[in-house]
Amino acid sequence: MSSSYSNYTNSPCAACKFLRRKCTSDCVFAPYFPPEEPLKFANVHRIFGASNVSKILHEVAPHQREDAVNSLAYEAEARLKDPVYGCVGAISVLQREVLRLQRELEETNVDLMRYASCLGGETSAYGGRRG
Amino acid sequence: NLKLRDGEIVIKVDMRGPGSSPCASCKLLRRRCAKECIFAPYFPPDDPHKFAIVHKVFGASNVSKMLQELPVHQRADAVNSLVFEANARVRDPVYGCVGAISYLQNQVTQLQMQLAVAQTEILCIQMQHEPALQSHHEVFELDQDDKAHLLHSNNNSINNCNNNYNLAYAMSSGQLNSNFASPSSIIQMQMQDPLKQESLWT
Repeated sequence: MSSSYSNYTNSPCAACKFLRRKCTSDCVFAPYFPPEEPLKFANVHRIFGASNVSKILHEVAPHQREDAVNSLAYEAEARLKDPVYGCVGAISVLQREVLRLQRELEETNVDLMRYASCLGGETSAYGGRRG
Repeated sequence: NLKLRDGEIVIKVDMRGPGSSPCASCKLLRRRCAKECIFAPYFPPDDPHKFAIVHKVFGASNVSKMLQELPVHQRADAVNSLVFEANARVRDPVYGCVGAISYLQNQVTQLQMQLAVAQTEILCIQMQHEPALQSHHEVFELDQDDKAHLLHSNNNSINNCNNNYNLAYAMSSGQLNSNFASPSSIIQMQMQDPLKQESLWT
């Protein structure tokens, strides 16, 4: 009966598969680039390069590496979809949206104050003080 | 051996043209800056930091490939956006400029909520003062549940513009969104007040 092998120890991570190298037990990419997500590493490699990603991972604390990888993957994907602006395009759109909403909120608050003051004026006319 | 008369000064002008001074990229990479150097138009020698930071995050060969894939008229914008992303990544190695996206999304959500509340308040006041409806008490007696329902309805209609850029929908993995939602993970942005900027890199 064949023994069951641990996927972790025998299946190279997506990075090592892509780079065609042996995936060692201390591979820095392995926890974050599982073999079933080959595109994730392929995208990140294409935009940032394996050594730059490795440097970033070594710079950040271990508990933050997953977030770092995910944000790199997001940026890489955005850059591949929009080679000119990448995810900076989304920032630009969101900034404009914030400005638009702030303006609209200001106008709405002015309207609200106007309605509220009309309400105050009417109640004093009907049942407020005299003279 | 120029003989100068009184009041005359000598101004030395380099007539060799721009091609003679290596661009910031070639200076950093210590190579000859060819006439057709792809980096030269976008990384002038007087701004070495610009290329240094892009090289650090993306790598020169990746940047070169990206630029080669773009038409010439789009390369300047591409370089500027790469510089922006690189700066953000150096300031925040964990989230880079994705932190800014999360921050702005939160701002948009908060503003939408505030706007919905204000609009709901106006609706309440309008209905309370509509003479034709005064006999229908159930319309005016808006309790907290009714207001919350109106608020939710307003939120749905004005959230549509966010759908394309919401990280929660864009990311295939749900983990990123949940991490970014927490205030502790919002990055302290060093960039200038984004609300005042017309363009990100002017």
